[in-house]
Amino acid sequence: MRRSPALLGGAVILALLAVVAVASFAGLLPYDPIAQHPPSRFAAPSGAHLFGTDQFGRDVFSRVASGVGNSALIALVAVAFATAAGTLGGLVSGFYRGVADGAIGGVTNVLFAFPPLLLALSLASVLDRNWFTIAVAIAIVYVPIFVRVTRGPVLSLREIEYVRAAVSTGMSRWQIMFRHVLPNITSIIVIQIALSLSWAVLTEASLSFLGLGTPPPAPSLGSMIYEARSLVFVAPWTLIAPGAVVVLLVVGLNLLGDGLRDTLDPRNRGRR
Amino acid sequence: MPRGAYSAVGIAAALSLALTACSSSSSPSGSAATGDGGGDAGKTIVVGVTSDPDTLFPWKATQFQAVNVLQNLYGTLTEFDKDLNVVPGLAESWQTSDDGKKLTLKLRQGVTFADGSTFGSEDVKWSLDKIMDEKTAAVARASLSSVKSVKAPDANTVVLELNGPDAALPANLATVNMAMLSSDDTEDKLNATPNGTGPFTLKNRVPSQSITLARNDAYWGDKAKAAAVEFRVIPDESSIVSAMQSGNVQLSVFDDPLVAQTAEAGGTITVAKTPQLSYHVLQLNATHGDLKDVNVRLAIQCAIDRKQVLDTAALGEGEVTGPITAPAFKSDPNNRPCPTRDLAKAADYLAKAGKASGVTVKTIVSQGEYATSVNEAQNLKAQLAEAKINLDLEVLESGAYVDRWVAADFDAAVALNGGRPDPDGSYGRYFTSDGNLNKVAGYSSPELDKLFAEGKATTDQAARKGIYDQVSTLLEQNAPWIWLFSGYTYTATTAGVQGFVPMASGSLQFLRTTSVS
Amino acid sequence: MRLRNRILTTVGTLFGVAVLVFVMLRAIPGDQITAGLGTEAAALTPAQRQALEQYYGLDQSLFTQFFSWLGNMLTGNFGYSARQQQSVLDLTLHSLPVTIELAVLSIVLALLIGVPLGMLAASRTNSARDALGQVVSLAGLSVPAFLLATTLLSVFAASFGFNPNGQGFATLADDPLLNLRQMLLPALVLGFGIAAPILRTTRTAVLEVRSEDFVRTARAKGVPERRLQVRHVLGNALVPIVTMTGLQFGYLLGGAVVVEQIFSVPGIGRQVLLGIQQKEYAVVQSTVLVIALAFVLVNLLTDALYRVIDPRVRAS
Repeated sequence: MRRSPALLGGAVILALLAVVAVASFAGLLPYDPIAQHPPSRFAAPSGAHLFGTDQFGRDVFSRVASGVGNSALIALVAVAFATAAGTLGGLVSGFYRGVADGAIGGVTNVLFAFPPLLLALSLASVLDRNWFTIAVAIAIVYVPIFVRVTRGPVLSLREIEYVRAAVSTGMSRWQIMFRHVLPNITSIIVIQIALSLSWAVLTEASLSFLGLGTPPPAPSLGSMIYEARSLVFVAPWTLIAPGAVVVLLVVGLNLLGDGLRDTLDPRNRGRR
Repeated sequence: MPRGAYSAVGIAAALSLALTACSSSSSPSGSAATGDGGGDAGKTIVVGVTSDPDTLFPWKATQFQAVNVLQNLYGTLTEFDKDLNVVPGLAESWQTSDDGKKLTLKLRQGVTFADGSTFGSEDVKWSLDKIMDEKTAAVARASLSSVKSVKAPDANTVVLELNGPDAALPANLATVNMAMLSSDDTEDKLNATPNGTGPFTLKNRVPSQSITLARNDAYWGDKAKAAAVEFRVIPDESSIVSAMQSGNVQLSVFDDPLVAQTAEAGGTITVAKTPQLSYHVLQLNATHGDLKDVNVRLAIQCAIDRKQVLDTAALGEGEVTGPITAPAFKSDPNNRPCPTRDLAKAADYLAKAGKASGVTVKTIVSQGEYATSVNEAQNLKAQLAEAKINLDLEVLESGAYVDRWVAADFDAAVALNGGRPDPDGSYGRYFTSDGNLNKVAGYSSPELDKLFAEGKATTDQAARKGIYDQVSTLLEQNAPWIWLFSGYTYTATTAGVQGFVPMASGSLQFLRTTSVS
Repeated sequence: MRLRNRILTTVGTLFGVAVLVFVMLRAIPGDQITAGLGTEAAALTPAQRQALEQYYGLDQSLFTQFFSWLGNMLTGNFGYSARQQQSVLDLTLHSLPVTIELAVLSIVLALLIGVPLGMLAASRTNSARDALGQVVSLAGLSVPAFLLATTLLSVFAASFGFNPNGQGFATLADDPLLNLRQMLLPALVLGFGIAAPILRTTRTAVLEVRSEDFVRTARAKGVPERRLQVRHVLGNALVPIVTMTGLQFGYLLGGAVVVEQIFSVPGIGRQVLLGIQQKEYAVVQSTVLVIALAFVLVNLLTDALYRVIDPRVRAS
């Protein structure tokens, strides 16, 4: 395998954040991210509080660490759902055409045509709002994207000689789909996963902007940014810390995605 | 000019929406500020608002933005001055009969509606009858519950026959929800074309973008100074600040201390603080589970440091408060079983209730309705956890919150309720057994019923103050709710804006005395 | 035959959207009464409540509500917004062009940034050019739109006094110059975000096409490099780029809400948001259906473009 600097960079960033996130889940943070200590509110960054404290005297570093965990969890679960459902849908839709295409296309179109905000608002209001339902809401928004992005190339691939050849050898359609078609769209799916992971992190942040994100007091990067938005003049660190970490997380995810693509895509291998 | 002995009595905000940020307000006051009658100069003042009115029909308007626009378009029988005293409006004077069962109002003459038609006693009778008719679904209907019938003996006189004395009635008539309409109008007509007797008339409306009012040169009082007022919709409060910094907007009212601080930080915007009648409260539902026991409720009271809630959630911008916020009837915030936080006492109360191991309270919180709600909830949860009281927070989108609140489907609710200048208006509807919000308040008692009835029938100011002090004490001793603090509103103006007077009710009625250079 | 299928699918999709939006709106707690009166709704007497339900048409069965709305839609009656005192059709005729204009400007900006940078990045992988593309796309992907939008707005307004969005909104017809200035920042924010996926798609597609045999053949035949890049490489890389552009354009129609909100742009996203907040069912239902129709049209257009630009699909 080729070594890719992007892959390495992304892996390092994510490993770093992962350590922090795992520490947060294991309860190894310097402070409880939820416990309030009003006497020491709005403390500037120092040795005691690496990223300072917020208006409740909570340690921003511990909250950011725990927020990375929560945000990553939401993003991973959401994208896993979306990838599985969307890719399968796109494959079947593009490969089988006909009725399946019509049905999947129909459902996709309906979901697509829905403003994501309405979808999220409805889900947030109808369901009990917690990290899982938010992940599901985000997943539902992204399923149609995966369908659409895979369907186009599958349509093209379907007409390519070796696929036609495979059909003539009497292989089952599912075998062809997974053995010959899927590997050829891997790069597209991987790019999409990388994009979607970062989008999912940002979508969670945007949902928080509209008051529909992870419910407090559990910290998420999105809700932290939103809450700190109006504190920017009073305690800039409350905004800068989660903001910088979101960007870092997203950058790491993108680098990893690029690296994976460079390394895994069979057509890139050894060609460049 | 008879102002009644109860000059400070009033309902600024009749029906101010408990949730939406602030209380709403009354209508124009005739003589509170000196004006030169307008003159022909005067420019357009641009007011930044986050939303345009959700209705232009005054009897159904509870939204802050709607009330602010409508009170500049419509007139009421009585009005408030800047200190919330009741002063004459469309009624030049009024007289209560000796037995208190009859209120006679003398109407101002020569008043016209925006469409040029003349205002008279027929319009008053028609308006009040309509408001009392359940089919109209007017929100101020309950304020007229003491009115038996309305008569119009001549063109300039109106007589209200009452069931009994009602000290709060003249103030009740001052809200824009009691606006006087022309008897030729209908709700649908007015929604399209407002037709009032106020200092401004509607000039132009672009839905969800702007609504522009023009000076009413036929207005009976001092003419407005500005030629026009444009309410410009800028949905995001930070964007309003930006619009003020760039000089596109001249005036705006904020309720979020952080936004106000941001606005002030630039140096070009002047921000004035006004204490508000509305109050932040943890409503307990004394008809639910463990909260039925007064000891559990008192444990919650004792476990909360109100100052800490204020400091953490609202940056200390406000004052710790007891139940009554109206200046003339203000409760002493320290007159309660636990004036300061006392965890030992909280534990005692819990033990007395047989809940020494702790209780869980399901609490609803609205997100997005007002700035500090979620922060208050977080701090309350953290504080109460130290007393083994677990606040189980349900953060809800505002529609879901209102649904649950209206159905009284909660153990506790973090709320911002609109206060009024008169304690009967503020709490009569909550804490009397036949009050129309008693189901939501979750508490009443024969003693309270008796006190509220007395307060309504008493006209002597000092005597009323004594009665409502007792109400306040009873409320704190039984802790149906935990009163936390009352905040400020912030009136932001750019250089050159003059003559605006902010009010504790959050009202923009003094736009008429405002000019911009 | 084919056309008939297309039309059937479209009608089916729109019907699905209609059902879904109708059901979802009713599943959200609250109705027009509580949305209008807030907690004050608790003070209504039963008779008052009944009068209001009748006024808003909430006393009819869900079945009747659905089909009378749908039937009215078919005759061009989109419903009426009591709040805004206008028919939903009129509202939409004002807000849709605004959003379309914003979407087009954003896409144009995104393509202007994304495609050239993507090609540049692909022209020599792992070079400085590639790194530039990486940085731009990473930035576009990593900065939340609402953060970028509020920051830009406050910086420009506070430091330079530049804030055309603080003035009343002007349509393109009213005052083209002011309109374009008001569109500048929102289109930049949206375009910057969309440029990233377009850049990446371009880069990947170009790399994949370049490694295909016909490009090598063409190069071997001595086709000039410039012509090769544009005609052969970009031409064949267009399918994924068009897909991505279509996707993003479709999304902008309903997804620019946050930016519309911050910059006070009276687009169709805000119309939906206001409708939801106010629980004006007719406004939300009809507007969502209009957005859905626009989506379907964009998709049809994208599909049609495949046929024009992709030789493989064309061949079938």
